[in-house]
Amino acid sequence: MKIIIANLGYFIKETFTTLKTNRLSNLLSFVSITLAFFLLALVITTWIVSLQVIDVMEQEAEINVFFYETVDEPSRDWVAASISDITGVVSTRVVNEAEALQRMEEILGEEAQVLAYFDENPFEAFIEVKVDLNQSQAIVSALQEIPDVRSIRDNQQVLDQIRNITRIQQFLGTLFIVAAGTATLVVISHIIRQGVYHNREQINTLRLLGAPESFIALPFLLVGLVMTVGGGLLASVMTGAAINMGYTQMSGPIPYLPLPPQGLLMWNTTLVILLLSLLLGIGGSVMGLKTSKET
Amino acid sequence: MITAKNLNLIYPDGTEALKGINFQINKGELVYITGPSGSGKTSLIKLIMGAEKPTSGQLIVLGHLMKTENQKGIRGLRQSIGPVFQELKLINGRTALENVMLGMRFLNIPRSQWKTKATEALDRVRLGHKILSVAENLSWGERQRVAIARAITRKPSLILADEPTGNLDVENAENILNILNSLRDEETAVIITTHATHLIDETAITQLIHIENGLIHINGGLHS
Ligand SMILES: Nc1ncnc2c1ncn2[C@@H]1O[C@H](COP(=O)(O)OP(=O)(O)O)[C@@H](O)[C@H]1O
Ligand SMILES: [Mg+2]
Repeated sequence: MKIIIANLGYFIKETFTTLKTNRLSNLLSFVSITLAFFLLALVITTWIVSLQVIDVMEQEAEINVFFYETVDEPSRDWVAASISDITGVVSTRVVNEAEALQRMEEILGEEAQVLAYFDENPFEAFIEVKVDLNQSQAIVSALQEIPDVRSIRDNQQVLDQIRNITRIQQFLGTLFIVAAGTATLVVISHIIRQGVYHNREQINTLRLLGAPESFIALPFLLVGLVMTVGGGLLASVMTGAAINMGYTQMSGPIPYLPLPPQGLLMWNTTLVILLLSLLLGIGGSVMGLKTSKET
Repeated sequence: MITAKNLNLIYPDGTEALKGINFQINKGELVYITGPSGSGKTSLIKLIMGAEKPTSGQLIVLGHLMKTENQKGIRGLRQSIGPVFQELKLINGRTALENVMLGMRFLNIPRSQWKTKATEALDRVRLGHKILSVAENLSWGERQRVAIARAITRKPSLILADEPTGNLDVENAENILNILNSLRDEETAVIITTHATHLIDETAITQLIHIENGLIHINGGLHS
């Protein structure tokens, strides 16, 4: 350890000398590693976003309860009150026809003019029931028992769909991590093997002078780390810009999408990418050194 | 310090480089190993450095039993040797100073002393004016001296110089041998191989080992 600290300057110099010997091919490798990490970061980002959307939707699990036309306003309040008593129900609120119309106008924005073609308000009143998702099954059955209730609409199906999408994302994401990881490992170990081959005389001299293997190997480990962590950092910056763009675009058309805080998303993605690049850099270098020794 | 008993080295291709040689070298000796080209001098140096393993017989170097010594032991042994190789083995693209310092970087020598020690050693081999020249820009004799400076700074118990006069004219060769001869002290033994027997200063040496065809022919006894 003392030797490593005393020679830090030497190791860094050696590292950049090795990087410079195959300048063009190393540069191309660096670019492809950066791109691989960037794509990886995008996959991870969308993955995190989906998980967040599910999380929010699960917290906000909501069931809409519709009445028969014959049910009058006082009865609605009474039904809502009795729904509140069902276990697992967090809150209830009656949304009357006027409010339902107003909500739709808000969602439609400028397109709300089409609503003017209706002589009468086409929307009906309903009860908004916020529930604990774990108990939604039982609550739905209980609601169906209530005589005044005509139909029930819950977001269970939507949630199931999003869950399916994340499952696919998870599968593709894993596949992608494995693919990008393997490619990076192969590229790095190749670079290290080339470096070792190019420096074989020097390595031989160091061995004859009694240098520890760690002293000989460290510059090569650093070569791998510079490539992957450098690529990872650059990819993180690019991802940051991409997330920024994405958020600006999303906030327009789909304002109600429950996106995670932008800073948190960037931080998480960067953390994952840097951790991966660290692991792949060390892994690739060790692989390169191991396979060099055998030849 | 070095003991060889019935030492044999047969290369994988069947070449018998050393055929049962015996000798002993003690602390602080100055030993010349002579013999024509191909007689086995370099092979002996390689055995002493652990670059080859004895095929049979016994070789003990600074307490290491070379036939069975493991990598870690060999590394430890090499750290107490100051080698001057036949091919010099300087790092191209690095200055004389950097080459000399490289020999110290992983030894028990404080970092603060590397540069001064290297500069002193280069002064001692009269290369003080060339410390910042890169290795490939130096003449063979100068490179030889850089290699010697690298060996000196390591404060070795044993300096091994394989054919240090090869490629040099008489004046430069005598020069190099004088420097090497002067490195011998109570703590440091110096072993030099050469086929240029006429350049050996008989009054300075303690032992002469003459090898021919893998066999020791003369082993000039010890005189102080
Ligand atoms: N690596 C090797 N493999 C096979 N034969 C070798 C090898 N190195 C040297 N030799 C042979 O061993 C003999 C001794 O060589 P060497 O020790 O280099 O002699 P010297 O240094 O005295 O010139 C020679 O016949 C040489 O060809
Ligand atoms: Mg030789």
